[in-house]
Amino acid sequence: MEVDLSGLVHARANGVAATYKGVDISYRGLRALIDQARRVVAAGTGAVDLVVGKSPEAIALVAACWVEGRPFLLPPSDLGAEARSALRAQAGCRQVVHADLTIKDIQTGKDIPPVKDVQDAVGTPELDGVGPMLTTSGSTGLPKVVPLPRAAVDRFTEWAAAAFGIGAGSVVFNHAPLNFDLCLLDVWTTLRAGGHVVLAEPDRALDGRALARAFTSADVEVVQAVPLFFRQLLDATDAVFPAVRELVHTGDAMPPGLLARLPERFPHARIRNIYGCTETNDSFVHDTDPTAGTPVPIGRPIDGVHARLDGAELLVSTPFQAERYLDAARADRWVEQDGRVWFRTGDLVRQTPDGVFHLDGRADFQVKVRGVRTNVRQVEEALLNHPDVTEAIVLALPDDEAGYRLHALVRPVGEARPNSLTLRSHCARLLPRTAVPSAVELIGAEFPRTSTGKVDRKKLLAERV
Amino acid sequence: MDADRITEITRYVVAEFAPDVRPDELDPDFDLLDSGVVDSLGLLRLIAWLGERHDLPVDELDLDPAEFRSVRAIDAFVESALLKGATP
Repeated sequence: MEVDLSGLVHARANGVAATYKGVDISYRGLRALIDQARRVVAAGTGAVDLVVGKSPEAIALVAACWVEGRPFLLPPSDLGAEARSALRAQAGCRQVVHADLTIKDIQTGKDIPPVKDVQDAVGTPELDGVGPMLTTSGSTGLPKVVPLPRAAVDRFTEWAAAAFGIGAGSVVFNHAPLNFDLCLLDVWTTLRAGGHVVLAEPDRALDGRALARAFTSADVEVVQAVPLFFRQLLDATDAVFPAVRELVHTGDAMPPGLLARLPERFPHARIRNIYGCTETNDSFVHDTDPTAGTPVPIGRPIDGVHARLDGAELLVSTPFQAERYLDAARADRWVEQDGRVWFRTGDLVRQTPDGVFHLDGRADFQVKVRGVRTNVRQVEEALLNHPDVTEAIVLALPDDEAGYRLHALVRPVGEARPNSLTLRSHCARLLPRTAVPSAVELIGAEFPRTSTGKVDRKKLLAERV
Repeated sequence: MDADRITEITRYVVAEFAPDVRPDELDPDFDLLDSGVVDSLGLLRLIAWLGERHDLPVDELDLDPAEFRSVRAIDAFVESALLKGATP
């Protein structure tokens, strides 16, 4: 089954497809870019690794992969080089294509002419029907590759277009980087429908003035973003946004104080919380009450989504899900039961008598750092990889701006005294930048232990907050 | 390039983002962004500090994160911003 991009193909040529850095690009212009990209994409076979930031060219390249039916790997653009090359091998990518359509041979790292394919010895995983391969934080070593079936993406964009009224000409804001699942709504649902996507610049996604400038470059009707975005926007400008009719906050807990400020600035917006993850895409939705003053519930399952509890842990099965990680060895989060594949979210929830689900915390070691799911165990693994480190514990300290910041406690080997520059550079080679600790503290003594012999993280944390 | 300013920027970066590091251990060409030492929120703090310290209208300047990649790059940014300010 192919992804329905009819809106993109049939949209009025003069209609605006995207706005980037204040410049509009028409559907005619975007289709021309896609045609160029298709020539490169069609010349190869198998999976392709896309090295793209965010730009009309980057979007055209991804669209070309959709159209040509090629599976594409889309890791964070700031993922460390070693991790990226390991993921590339895992996904069996035989080609690397950059947004400017240069192609690198993955054996030699040199540009090769666009018409030739790279033959090499990397394995070829089963990728029938797979479109995007996004990544998500793993507990050990590498990020996990999430292969999303094209049919699942198609079901998602169909749902999202209806749920948020996204059609031809709808103006939708995109805040997230292109490798985030959130773009399946902001970018791909919009283009599929022949709408107009307004792109934030990812490099400046935390610069309130740049965000406000991007946000006001068109009359945005639909916006989906993490709470941090709304705070940056509201702090950067006093403007009111009457054109916004759908405001979606997602990815992180919405602070009640910030929520209370939204109705005045977005007087006509229906405000909703969406809960989901890369593996399953959106699964719960809730009409947010800005006056409640309490944590926002995740709400109820979206139509077609099944939810169940194992103890307090939420399991979901969605029409939009991946059903596996690419690395079959990491299957523990996927469970087959009652003829369905369920995903263990790791989120602890409770259901109130009105049927609404509330989030109570995590069953594992994951936290959100600047809106990005980050597993502190993975950061510890990376630190332990360094020859000067014998033991490492990473604490997530609450932070007003970032949500959490990572504080690493490191016991060095012998007389070694690695400093934080060395250790953070080391982490940056292996992990996305949000997973690089903000601080590294060298510890001389043994870590405190609980009665069961585990490192007493609570005690270490209590000493530092 | 201004040696005093380099020293001052180095001291600030170390104090703010890597307190365990001595100023003389931070190479002026060390990549602060790729290493994750200065993250996107840290960058905003750094820019605000530069604006205050050198009386630069950072709110009005169009800033590219690459201009703050290293201590030396930051120094060059300040120098060019001061020059622009001096020209009427």
